[in-house]
Amino acid sequence: MTRRKFIKKIIKASSLIIASTSWLANKASPRKFVRAFRVKKYPGSLRPLRDVSKQSKWSG
Amino acid sequence: MTVQCELCPKMCLIEPGQSGECRVRINIDGVLRTVVYGFPCSINIDPIEKKPLFHFLPGTGILSIATVGCNLHCLNCQNWEISQANPEESRAVLCPPQKLVALAKQNRCPSIAYTYTDPIVYYEYTYDTAKLARDNGIRNVLVTAGYINAAPWKELLKYIDAANIDLKFISDDLYRRICSGTLKPVQNALVLAKASGVLVEVTNLIIPTLNDKPEDICELSRWIRANLGSDTPLHFSGFYPRYKMQHLPPTSLKKLEEAREIAVSEGLDYVYIGNVRSKEGENTYCPGCKKLLIERKGYTILQNRLKKGCCPDCNKEIYGVWK
Repeated sequence: MTRRKFIKKIIKASSLIIASTSWLANKASPRKFVRAFRVKKYPGSLRPLRDVSKQSKWSG
Repeated sequence: MTVQCELCPKMCLIEPGQSGECRVRINIDGVLRTVVYGFPCSINIDPIEKKPLFHFLPGTGILSIATVGCNLHCLNCQNWEISQANPEESRAVLCPPQKLVALAKQNRCPSIAYTYTDPIVYYEYTYDTAKLARDNGIRNVLVTAGYINAAPWKELLKYIDAANIDLKFISDDLYRRICSGTLKPVQNALVLAKASGVLVEVTNLIIPTLNDKPEDICELSRWIRANLGSDTPLHFSGFYPRYKMQHLPPTSLKKLEEAREIAVSEGLDYVYIGNVRSKEGENTYCPGCKKLLIERKGYTILQNRLKKGCCPDCNKEIYGVWK
């Protein structure tokens, strides 16, 4: 192997390492959100709206 | 992919399919989603004095809503059945912001309260409803523990007219042990709310053996006076054994009255007692001439002597939104 070929191989290998490390780092860092997006369906059960004029039993 | 919720100081890292500590903000396919938007578990019209708010539209009814979930887990929570509930196990009503505003109008409520659990965890629902309500001439009230990051808080406050914010303890250690929170973000939220022109009232629940020492009351009152101003109404609320704190006795009326005396002697103008019947502790007195201005019994206004928001005897302007 000539010196030129050897250097080419080293450059190729190190750029591969750099690319895969940055891809991994990017995958590992979480996506950040302040506002959340809505879902269409409630995961619990739905009930009809009752008389709202009554005082709530909850505190506050 | 993991997501991070930056709404509250907990900054939850949420794995796919999991929720944050609040139970209602969920990572679905790498996107943060709120499962309670438009799905309140409680909608009722309460007297505004129940929030408690004593300096905001006294004697009016307020359309009050909550969804399940909370970002704190207070061992003494009075509403734990909904605040600590999983949405999957709960029952809710389909009520988008438009319907809520229409309900308030239909029932002639001048304001909407986001309350019972904590409106921070149903932030998007609160925000969109508050914006729409403001456009329709209806005012917005938050009843909250104030455990939120500064940026979303400032954004929400643009549409809020009044807030009752809990200052549960003046000790960071107690916030951590009892509520799984911290003190500083709450203090920041209080200061930001007051500075942004929102009418702020503060509630402090007095729990026997935890935060009922005179020095605790002194420190709390001094902090409020120095950082929010002496005109900030303070409500000392009586504790009842609930949830995971059933081993402690209820707060005595004597203890609440002592707390009120300390806070007044520390220079606070409006100090109230709640959750128990108290003759003087429910009324508003003029900080100038000390005369009775608003007489209350429970949630009922017996008389309101204010004239255009001022004392009729000495003409002192009284902190509040009166019409």
